[in-house]
Amino acid sequence: MKVLAAGVVPLLLVLHWKHGAGSPLPITPVNATCATRHPCPSNLMNQIRNQLGQLNSSANSLFILYYTAQGEPFPNNLDKLCSPNVTDFPPFHANGTEKARLVELYRIIAYLGASLGNITRDQKVLNPYAHGLHSKLSTTADVLRGLLSNVLCRLCSKYHVSHVDVTYGPDTSGKDVFQKKKLGCQLLGKYKQVIAVLAQAF
Amino acid sequence: MPTQILQIAFIQKYLCKMFTLQTWIVQALFIFLTTESIGELIVPCAHIHPESSVVQLGSNFTAVCVLKEKCMDDYHVTANDIFWKTGRVPVPYEQYSVINRTASSVTFPNITLINALLTCNIRMFGQINRSVYGIRIISGLPPEKPKNLSCIVNEGKKMMCQWDPGRETYLETNYTLKSEWATEKFDDCKAKRDTPTSCTVDYPPVYFVNIEVWVEAENALGKVTSDHINFDPVDKVKLNPPHILSVNSSKELSSILKLTWTDSRFKSFITLKYDIQYRTKDASTWNQVPPEDTSSTRSSFTVQDLKPFTEYVFRIRCMKEDGKGYWSDWSEEASGITYEDRPSKAPNFWYKIEPSHAHGTRSIQLKWKTLPPFEANGKILDYEVTLTKWKSHSQNYTVKDTKLTVNLTNDRYVATLTARNLVGKSDASVLTIPAWDFQATHPITDLKAFPKDNVLWVEWTAPNESVNRYILEWCVLSDKSPCIPDWQQEDGTVHRTYLRAPSRGPTVRTKKVGKNEAVLEWDHLPIDVQNGFIRNYTIFYRTVIGNEIAVNVDSSHTEYTLSSLTSDTLYMVRMAAYTDEGGKDGPEFTFTTPKFAQGEIEAIVVPVCLAFLLTTLLGVLFCFNKRDLIKKHIWPNVPDPSKSHIAQWSPHTPPRHFNSKDQMYPDGNFTDVSVVEIEANDKKPFPEDLKSLDLFKKEKVNTEGHSSGIGGSSCMSSSRPSISSSDENESAQNTSSTVQYSTVVHSGYRHQVPSVQVFSRSESTQPLLDSEERPEDLQLVDNVDGSDGILPRQRYFKQNCSQHETSPDISHFERSQQVSSVNEEDFVRLKQQQISDHISQPYGSGKMKMFQEVPAVDAFGPGIEGQVERFETVGMEDAVDEGMPKSYLPQTVRRGGYMPQ
Repeated sequence: MKVLAAGVVPLLLVLHWKHGAGSPLPITPVNATCATRHPCPSNLMNQIRNQLGQLNSSANSLFILYYTAQGEPFPNNLDKLCSPNVTDFPPFHANGTEKARLVELYRIIAYLGASLGNITRDQKVLNPYAHGLHSKLSTTADVLRGLLSNVLCRLCSKYHVSHVDVTYGPDTSGKDVFQKKKLGCQLLGKYKQVIAVLAQAF
Repeated sequence: MPTQILQIAFIQKYLCKMFTLQTWIVQALFIFLTTESIGELIVPCAHIHPESSVVQLGSNFTAVCVLKEKCMDDYHVTANDIFWKTGRVPVPYEQYSVINRTASSVTFPNITLINALLTCNIRMFGQINRSVYGIRIISGLPPEKPKNLSCIVNEGKKMMCQWDPGRETYLETNYTLKSEWATEKFDDCKAKRDTPTSCTVDYPPVYFVNIEVWVEAENALGKVTSDHINFDPVDKVKLNPPHILSVNSSKELSSILKLTWTDSRFKSFITLKYDIQYRTKDASTWNQVPPEDTSSTRSSFTVQDLKPFTEYVFRIRCMKEDGKGYWSDWSEEASGITYEDRPSKAPNFWYKIEPSHAHGTRSIQLKWKTLPPFEANGKILDYEVTLTKWKSHSQNYTVKDTKLTVNLTNDRYVATLTARNLVGKSDASVLTIPAWDFQATHPITDLKAFPKDNVLWVEWTAPNESVNRYILEWCVLSDKSPCIPDWQQEDGTVHRTYLRAPSRGPTVRTKKVGKNEAVLEWDHLPIDVQNGFIRNYTIFYRTVIGNEIAVNVDSSHTEYTLSSLTSDTLYMVRMAAYTDEGGKDGPEFTFTTPKFAQGEIEAIVVPVCLAFLLTTLLGVLFCFNKRDLIKKHIWPNVPDPSKSHIAQWSPHTPPRHFNSKDQMYPDGNFTDVSVVEIEANDKKPFPEDLKSLDLFKKEKVNTEGHSSGIGGSSCMSSSRPSISSSDENESAQNTSSTVQYSTVVHSGYRHQVPSVQVFSRSESTQPLLDSEERPEDLQLVDNVDGSDGILPRQRYFKQNCSQHETSPDISHFERSQQVSSVNEEDFVRLKQQQISDHISQPYGSGKMKMFQEVPAVDAFGPGIEGQVERFETVGMEDAVDEGMPKSYLPQTVRRGGYMPQ
């Protein structure tokens, strides 16, 4: 999706979603004010819930599509190769306040979005003919981007949060093929697990 | 330096879209053509302000033309000499205003729709008009604020928005769709020129995020923005239609059909609702499943309250449950047939006593009406008739027909009738057949019939006693047809009815008969024979030996296609029209299905014909390309002496000077028939030839010529110059003295070598040539030394008689012989045999080469004609090389034919 840089929003993390983003980027708050291009809709939380539901409904099929496309040994060694052991994954506390949950959700979506960008980039090289997988990864990334926009809008409009520190997963560009596949599989396993929790929490 | 001003003819019609470019072109033309100097900076003679001239319709427009001082000096003009034109039409002077000495303005009040060239012109020296500058004026309107902006997201595609652009602007107007989230902006979507009212964005839709969209319209006169609309794309979705997987009936319930389908992936995260419609196959209106029954996501639905054994057609569409968005398109239609149910009504039942000659018995024909489909509830397999005599056992009959004739005693009987289908039997119709002596004691009275409302009513007075039912019998009274009784049954409570059953059935005919199908058509029954409302038609068709098949057709139809027919088969078809009260068969119609489908024969014949034509064409082309070869093998050219042209041998013909044969025949493809002659003669015993040759020799010596006849075709004549000479004069002389009076048949035909050379004397009375009549000329020729001609003859021999190198000894031999008058090669051969071995041997070897060449020549050479032709050419060459002033050589050489003599 083509995106024009939006200078109005200081917290425009969309720019960080470019392929290759693998390390935390310094988010420098421009100022304390928080403004959006147009007012956020009143049903924003409902939209966030729907987005999480949408992501949750497709997470498992994305995971299956991914490890199937990688070929052996992935489909028969999911426990070893695709266990959701992702270090530095942002935490989420379902019993927190809405603001805290939204901030944590923001971090998770930013992390997942960047990681999904890496996976998409790697898969286009490693499995250039897995068009179904590419399409599903892109669609998921688009939904994550929309979710990030909604969360940002909510944080900004209701809680006046203008800055959230985010972290990103490891950059896979220097890894070998197997490691790229394995890290992607682990990330999607984690994504499937986390998104179910998030869909419940909101 | 004098200023050059050129008149420019401008094209009046310019397209609106091109106006900018054209303005530039116009200005460029003026710059280039209205100049003050050549080779220096081009300076226009004047300027018009404003340069850009898009004018709003209805406004005033003023343009000012300012002359350059230098131009004014050169042409001695001022602003008073300026006049304006729009296109080629001068602008009235009333619209002018001279501002000062150099500037003149023109004003167009309340400007109308215009797209024209406005030029500033000067009038020089009284009469000469020159255009000095021009601008294009285009009028139009600023864009209106786009209205009714709406967007739609077709599932699987990108979002498309459309709007009402408002009034026509008459100008090039750009419409740009802008969109953004609360946190970021998307790329603009520029509407295409041909669809300025819509635009499809180039990013995929993201649901559950509000997007704000608006349209900007801009042209040369202004820019305007539509109202912004803010929506969630999921509320603008038009889903893909569901796909109906199956329509299943239930054996337990004949009134239901279960519909199953698959639909959008959206149902995994949004709730859908459905719209299901159904109809019977022949109906045109749809029934609606109550929306509240399908207001949630599901993948199947059971439709109830359907008629048994009836085909229903279904379609379904879906949308978001909350009603936001658009209904999907209707799915593909799918149909299913409800299961059969037992016949819902007993057939109407009656009897007729037929005369019987047997004593004590009577023949009874029981007859009943077929049940209409909506009462049969399935396919009626058969009817069961039970006849019970008083205090006796029953007789059971199973009948497929609608009548049964039985012989009964004169006793009273009770008959019952049931119709049976796959599921069960109908209720029984009970009919009492009274004993033969039964007298009806209370008949009805006052039976009347009268037409009313286009039907025939029957009215009667009921008896006092209770009545179970009435049976009405009638027939059509006609002079043309006998009285065929028909009947109908009425309840016992009524005393008035109309004749409801059709009095006749529809007449079916074929509209089109195919190999495996037939289109039947019929006319609606006239109202006066319908006797009620036609509920449906039934088509019965069968082959001579096959079972009858019945097809029910809705009463609104007048056409039906029978399919799965057998080709080349006779079919019998009839139709029955049914009202609520029964049906009536129409006449039977027969047709035969063709053996081949339409176009099938053509599909076979046409390719065969085309293939034949193609083969023929290829054959002709092949023959055309190989015509020389074919001609050679089939009808080689045979010279006709009567068509010879002696004139061409005229001594007055100027000689041609060829330096070599190669010049005359660049292809160098020479083959000489004389070789054949030599070969042929070589195979012949010499003593025989010797006589003839001696004879020839004598003749030639006497006549200073030879009579080899058709020289061109004769190997003898062809070989003559080669052998006899070293002496060119003699060669020429021999040629010139040749009398074309005889024909030589030689060389055989095709590859055959004749065993004997045949010389036939021509009957021609053509006078002798001059050379023969003037021997002194020949003598002169004889005196010319022909030593120079040896080499050409050698070449001739090489090329004509052999493709190999001919031994130079031959030339030597020829020179040594110096045969002055005897030129016949046979003679030479004779002489040759008589000379010493050291001479004959090389010649013999050379000769052998030649002989060996013959088959090759025949096989690979261009043919006999070619050989002869080349021979003639050689003769000509010899003469030419010698520079004979009086040459009797052929003037033309025709390839593939004989040299004209």
